[in-house]
Amino acid sequence: MTMEAGIAQSEFDTAQSEKSVEKHLALAKTREQRRRLTNRMLSASFGLFVLLVWYLATKYGFVHALIIPSPQDTFFAAGRVMRADYFLPNAWVTTYEILLGFALGLASGVLFGVAVTMFESVRATIYPYLVALQAPPKIVLAPIFVTWFGFDAPSKIAIAVVMSFFPMFLNTLTGLTSVDPNAVKLMRSLTASRWQTFRFLLLPNALPIMMAGLKLCWTLAVTGVIVGEFVGASAGIGYLIYAMNFQLDIAGVFALIILLSLFTVAVYQLVEWAEARIVFWKQL
Amino acid sequence: MTAGLINAEHLTKVYGTATGPLVALTDVNFAIEEGEFVSLVGPSGCGKSTLLSMLGGLEERSEGTLTLDGETLDRPRTDIGMMFQTSVLFPWRTARENVRLPGIILGLDPEEQKAKCDELLDLVGLNGFGDRYPGELSGGMRQRVALARLLAHGPRVLLMDEPFGALDEFTREAMNLELLRIWEKTRKTVVFVTHNIGESVFLSDRVFVMTPRPGRLAGILTVDLPRPRTTAVMREPRYSDLVFEIRRMIGVDH
Repeated sequence: MTMEAGIAQSEFDTAQSEKSVEKHLALAKTREQRRRLTNRMLSASFGLFVLLVWYLATKYGFVHALIIPSPQDTFFAAGRVMRADYFLPNAWVTTYEILLGFALGLASGVLFGVAVTMFESVRATIYPYLVALQAPPKIVLAPIFVTWFGFDAPSKIAIAVVMSFFPMFLNTLTGLTSVDPNAVKLMRSLTASRWQTFRFLLLPNALPIMMAGLKLCWTLAVTGVIVGEFVGASAGIGYLIYAMNFQLDIAGVFALIILLSLFTVAVYQLVEWAEARIVFWKQL
Repeated sequence: MTAGLINAEHLTKVYGTATGPLVALTDVNFAIEEGEFVSLVGPSGCGKSTLLSMLGGLEERSEGTLTLDGETLDRPRTDIGMMFQTSVLFPWRTARENVRLPGIILGLDPEEQKAKCDELLDLVGLNGFGDRYPGELSGGMRQRVALARLLAHGPRVLLMDEPFGALDEFTREAMNLELLRIWEKTRKTVVFVTHNIGESVFLSDRVFVMTPRPGRLAGILTVDLPRPRTTAVMREPRYSDLVFEIRRMIGVDH
């Protein structure tokens, strides 16, 4: 074989092997897509199965319609509730309470988490009390808060703040302290200031755990507001659920629960979407 | 004792523990010259990492003196750089941004640093990988980035704590050759901690042999193998003599 022919041959081999690599990658991609599709089919069929059992159980009278309304009744009730003129004002009240409670719980949790980690005097002063307060269920405060702050939004917001504060506080604290000792050594050896260590190492390092706390914080804010509205309110989705339950409009209650869940899940998904972008390095 | 760049006299470190005082290092004396490559070798618990931390100004000494350039070493200094067994790269920063970090912390000229960091990435053989995140690099490549970051702010003294200890044997050997190549170019003072005897002989001008319980400096060996070194020195009788001498001092040969 001449040299030119040899080079041509090796170029041909390279082209061939590149082609086969591409083929393998394409195959792997197809397999991955198929796997995902299968998983989605599985979860969809399980959902349909549950719906079917629900439907059959109500159709053949295994459960009384007053206790569990049929799927179609629930669906129509959702339409009825959403078209009613009382729906939007009440939904707005609850949304407003949840968002404000969540935001304040989030902010105060982060603030206290940072303060307790960064300042020894703050830690010494309040940390033991925060740990002690973390154990009992915060929900017991709901009636007292209604007494203190009244039937309107402030009492619901207060309950949401108290409930969502702790996961955010504890996760911020855990995140800021779960740091590679060598990374701290590195920052010290570079004579980094406390602020620099916080900004370049501790805070970004804490973000994944803080995001997990934020998701907990969100669901607890929703729980806090709804329970608050059960305990004593003159408006809101929790108030509507309570009132409809009292009137034995169980289909309406089901519809409201489902609407509330859809709202909560939608925001949760939004948070996860943001999380994937904020702590992008976790997927690398 | 002749005064070197780094001097230790009667250096002692005692930790207070729940079960009483623990002597990590006792009566350590040495002088390290500017531009010298020194290894600290010994089994676990011989105090080599403690000594390195003290050299980095991260650990207080209990007794004795430790000086760099005549000044007491009791706090971190910007003319000392540290590297660890794990790369300690920040996963949210690209390779280049990690190498830029020391310059940012120390407030060095950004334009100058930018050019220097690109040069350093070239120097450690990572041309074209600057925009990769650590999660996208292999273990060996991550240590290369850590090596570039170590050099970024231009320290005189490099303190390296088993930097290639977590790598596989082949990668470790490649990194040793790389380190020697870079050291020949820059002639920094290096203190290199390892528990690999062969590695310590291959790299160093002098090997500080340390023994545990209590941690102390058992002896200092001068490695009179010619430089620049390649893996061929491992075939020389002098290389094996030195390795066996160190084994004898540590007491691994019975």
